[in-house]
Amino acid sequence: MKAVWRIVSSQHQHDRFHFWLGILAAILPAVAGILLLGVSGWFITAAALAGLSGAFLNIFAPSAIIRALAIVRTAGRYGERVVTHDATFRFLTALRNQLFAAFLTRRDRHRRSGVLLNRLTLDISALDTVYLRIVVPVLLCVFTAAALLCVWFAIAVPVFVAGVVFLGAWAGLAWISVARADRKAARRADAASDAIRLRAADLVAGRRDLAIYGGLDAVAASILSADERLTAAEDVEERRATRLICLSGLVGQVFLAVSLAVAVVGAAQAAFSPALAAGLVLVVVVLPELFSMALPGLARLPRTALAAKRVSALQSVAPARTSNAQTPAIHRPGDNPPLLGFEDVTFRYPGAARDVLETLSFDIGKAEAVAIAGRSGCGKSTVAAIASRMLDPRAGRVCLDGRDLGEYDEQTLRRSITVLGQRAYLFNDTVAANLRIANADATDADLWTALEHAALVERISDSSQGLGTVLGEGGLGLSGGEQRRLALARAFLTRPKLFILDEMTEGLDSETARDVLSRFLQFRGNASVLMIAHKRLELDAADRILRLPEPGHEIR
Amino acid sequence: MCHLNSPGERDITFAMLKRLTSQTPGAGETAQRQANAAIGQPLASEGHSLRRTGYLLGMSDLLWIPQAGLISIALGAMLADLFGAGATSPQSASVSGQLLVIVAGLVCLAVLRMLLQNRALNGARRIARKIQSRARADILRVAVERSPAAVFPASGVFAAQITEQVDLLGPYYRNYVPQVMRLKLVPLAIVLVTVWFSWLAALILLICGPLIPVFMALIGMRAKAASAAQQEELTRLSGILLDRIRGLETLVLFGAAERTEDDIRSAGERFRLGTMRVLKIAFLSSTVLELFSALGIAFCAVYVGFSLLGDIEFGTWGAPLTYSGGLFVLLLAPEFFAPLRAYAAAYHDRAAGVAALEKLAALIEEIGPDSPQLPECISMENPAAVAVDGISSPPSIRFSDVTLSLAGRRVFRNMDLDVAPGETVFLTGPSGSGKTTLLDCLLGFHLPEEGEIRIDGKSARLVAGLLRRNVIWISQSPRLFHGSLKANLLKGVEDGAPVSEDDLWTALRLAGAEDLVRRLPHGLATPLGEDGFGLSVGEIRRVALARAAMHRKATLVLADEPTAGLDEDTAADVIRGLKTLTAGRTSLIASHDPAVLEMPGRTIDLAELTAGVREGATP
Repeated sequence: MKAVWRIVSSQHQHDRFHFWLGILAAILPAVAGILLLGVSGWFITAAALAGLSGAFLNIFAPSAIIRALAIVRTAGRYGERVVTHDATFRFLTALRNQLFAAFLTRRDRHRRSGVLLNRLTLDISALDTVYLRIVVPVLLCVFTAAALLCVWFAIAVPVFVAGVVFLGAWAGLAWISVARADRKAARRADAASDAIRLRAADLVAGRRDLAIYGGLDAVAASILSADERLTAAEDVEERRATRLICLSGLVGQVFLAVSLAVAVVGAAQAAFSPALAAGLVLVVVVLPELFSMALPGLARLPRTALAAKRVSALQSVAPARTSNAQTPAIHRPGDNPPLLGFEDVTFRYPGAARDVLETLSFDIGKAEAVAIAGRSGCGKSTVAAIASRMLDPRAGRVCLDGRDLGEYDEQTLRRSITVLGQRAYLFNDTVAANLRIANADATDADLWTALEHAALVERISDSSQGLGTVLGEGGLGLSGGEQRRLALARAFLTRPKLFILDEMTEGLDSETARDVLSRFLQFRGNASVLMIAHKRLELDAADRILRLPEPGHEIR
Repeated sequence: MCHLNSPGERDITFAMLKRLTSQTPGAGETAQRQANAAIGQPLASEGHSLRRTGYLLGMSDLLWIPQAGLISIALGAMLADLFGAGATSPQSASVSGQLLVIVAGLVCLAVLRMLLQNRALNGARRIARKIQSRARADILRVAVERSPAAVFPASGVFAAQITEQVDLLGPYYRNYVPQVMRLKLVPLAIVLVTVWFSWLAALILLICGPLIPVFMALIGMRAKAASAAQQEELTRLSGILLDRIRGLETLVLFGAAERTEDDIRSAGERFRLGTMRVLKIAFLSSTVLELFSALGIAFCAVYVGFSLLGDIEFGTWGAPLTYSGGLFVLLLAPEFFAPLRAYAAAYHDRAAGVAALEKLAALIEEIGPDSPQLPECISMENPAAVAVDGISSPPSIRFSDVTLSLAGRRVFRNMDLDVAPGETVFLTGPSGSGKTTLLDCLLGFHLPEEGEIRIDGKSARLVAGLLRRNVIWISQSPRLFHGSLKANLLKGVEDGAPVSEDDLWTALRLAGAEDLVRRLPHGLATPLGEDGFGLSVGEIRRVALARAAMHRKATLVLADEPTAGLDEDTAADVIRGLKTLTAGRTSLIASHDPAVLEMPGRTIDLAELTAGVREGATP
């Protein structure tokens, strides 16, 4: 519940004006609606009395008021809805952007993207209920209840007492829906929904592997069983919500019966006029609708709270990199600093039992190509990740062009280093958009040149859409080698000081590999190269080979 | 009323659905087509029950008529008491006795209304749930039958469809459909009762009432179009987000993360504006309704007031309107409009629901019966019949005169290939020469346009389904799934085969992955994220090899670049494993790694084999 409260206060801070404007806008039509029936009841009773007694009654003012109330109620409803929804969606859009930005600074960002997607889209849309279905109706009820109690108190004590009892009953229902909510059901429903989503994504993205290992039917069956869990959990929640709403209706009806008795008795005892008595009864006719409004939102509070909790958890992640204000590296005067320098770098993955790298030191000179070789698991890719500042070393330091790597701002660093990774990702977007990730300003001619360097021109121009061809998820439609070459073309759009190649020619046949490598070497110009390699071809292309030691003895 | 199916029952239904479609292709196909068209639609009996819940809601509403009558009588009596007979005490005693009866009556009716309402809402909810679950099952059935090699919607889009779009059906059936029935019942009944007292009041209602649907239909049509566009936008937003988050590392490395933030921002902004646009239209339609209902009540009140004053003397059947009658008419007026308002509130549930239905139908269309299917689903014979004699010994493989085009590009033309039982064949050739496609053909992911593929003398069409459960297959980019490493390995196990921890370690050792698993913080229990996060490409490949090795009874080995991404030492481990696996099995291995090609076996250059293809590349 705390998280929900945080969302409320953060929306309040985001835009105070619209926050309160929405609530004011909600009060106006609600009051007009109550008065419409109340005044109508009063009016016809007064008219009947006047008709009976022949007394004078100003008829034009009340009838004008009735029509005015009808219009205020209508226009007010429209205004209220537009204002409250607009305020909510503005806030949510801002929240979504804020969360994506938070993501960028997260260390574990590529974990479970399916779940995270859930968080970003569903949780955010679930949060619209906080303001629209909880804050506005609850405040509206509180305000209206206070106003009604004041009026009732002014009229007669029995009316006031009846009001207190039944408004109290509604408050009790609201309290029950919050305090006795089934949080476990909410959690179960959420987990089931996540499971459906993740497994459905697995079913599509991994369908080849699944067709053979485990079978597609098995995944489909597991999705269906998750659906059953979802149904069961949501059934619990919805049954509760339905019961609460029906009870609220019952409270309203009993209230009506009781206030009828109070009004008739009061009028008989001349505590107030019969016209007022009729007005009071008709006001109560309208109330159930108003006081039931907050219940669905409150009944869903456990679900909302879960979403709010996750969103706040993401939000509260501190930015990972605070530029460490270390003194800049002072290189031996007159010495030409290496382009990339590792000094006693040590690294250990969180949760791992041992260091992957231990006091590793090496230099790469300007225009030099150095290959790092070693057995799989010895930390070659970790070296690449540290050199590209995707990981921070536990100890030691890394210098790029004479400056500590940590001092570079993100823009400059990314312009200075191009990484061709093992996991080059192709987006579900056009070829052009995929290439322009590397360089947003590249012209079509630049793109074609890059594709030519990567020996992909033919393949892309074969397709009728050319650069506008949309690549399927993970670059489906291109063969493995072609995907690799497209990633290479992307790299050819940059002009960095340092290339980091993580097994660039992997998965290519030897002829293509030789071709791609020679194209790359031709292209790189004076840039230095850090190559993670194990193929003879690549090792031969390097000026120098650095062998990483075997990984330490295993921990049993 | 309905029970939740147990998982077991559901599985059986699922299998039955599959069998239905595979056994009777002619009738099955049309039936399936109909089933696909009806995705997310209620069955006849469910439609009937939904309508019944609407009637229950209407009944609950109609009980307001006696309630309003009781209130009018009570207040009328109050007025009569004050003005008619003066204040004689016995009279007032009978009045309070009457009042007591009226209050008790009101409460009884209230309880009855609540029970009816509760029953109606619960019933509608259960039916909606059933329809939703069935829609999910239908989508999955179609998705499972589709060839894994065929183009699919992005996984994010598919996941969103099967969750969000199906979720949208719930409110549609639960809220909207019963409201339609209520709308048919309640206003008419109230007008009829009102006519009894005053034809003019009834006329006011009749004029205000029917105008509402007219305006709402006009606005509703726009709302529907806008809502459909909006749903598309939401799905797109989900797709973009998933895609960008997956490729976040690439984006960061190219310094494109900020630009992507802008993309996401503008997509979010588009979504917000779109949502507001839809809502404004929806609000407008409910505003029209509010206006007419408020005016209707106001006019009724003013009319009743004026006739009670005696200023208006028409609108009734002779006798002037009494106070009680007037009050009764006034009390009924809001209830005349209440079903209309509820209908309007549910209307954008309908708009969203109908848009979702179209979306789902489009999804089914995209992956449905007209697109490439897995052969077992279109085969004429029952695959179970083939399973009996099985493929217990290493099969022979024969491609005769096979022609195949993919996405307009001809991959094979009149290709022939023979592999003897137990033989190991290496497929080489430049990337794009069809190595993967050839392996896919054996698994039944593609069907040749011409010619035939025979495995052990049986058509690949027939045995592919069985083969898939009995093959050691290593894909070019193996994929691991959510769950522990152990769970991933167990996916390779034949159904029901007992597996010990030792078996797992044996498979891992064979794949050269034993050390890497022992190094992991939680060993076999290490949870893997999407794409096997936490492992490098080489590690994923070795785990996948171990998973493949769990298919111990397999007689066929298909491997696609098994050593890609591995250093020499690890590759040597994998090759050693492959040697063990290929022994006594028919093997097809696509690779250009010289170390792999050094293994004993026959090497075939696919580029040569399909030499005729190049010049005929553009059909």
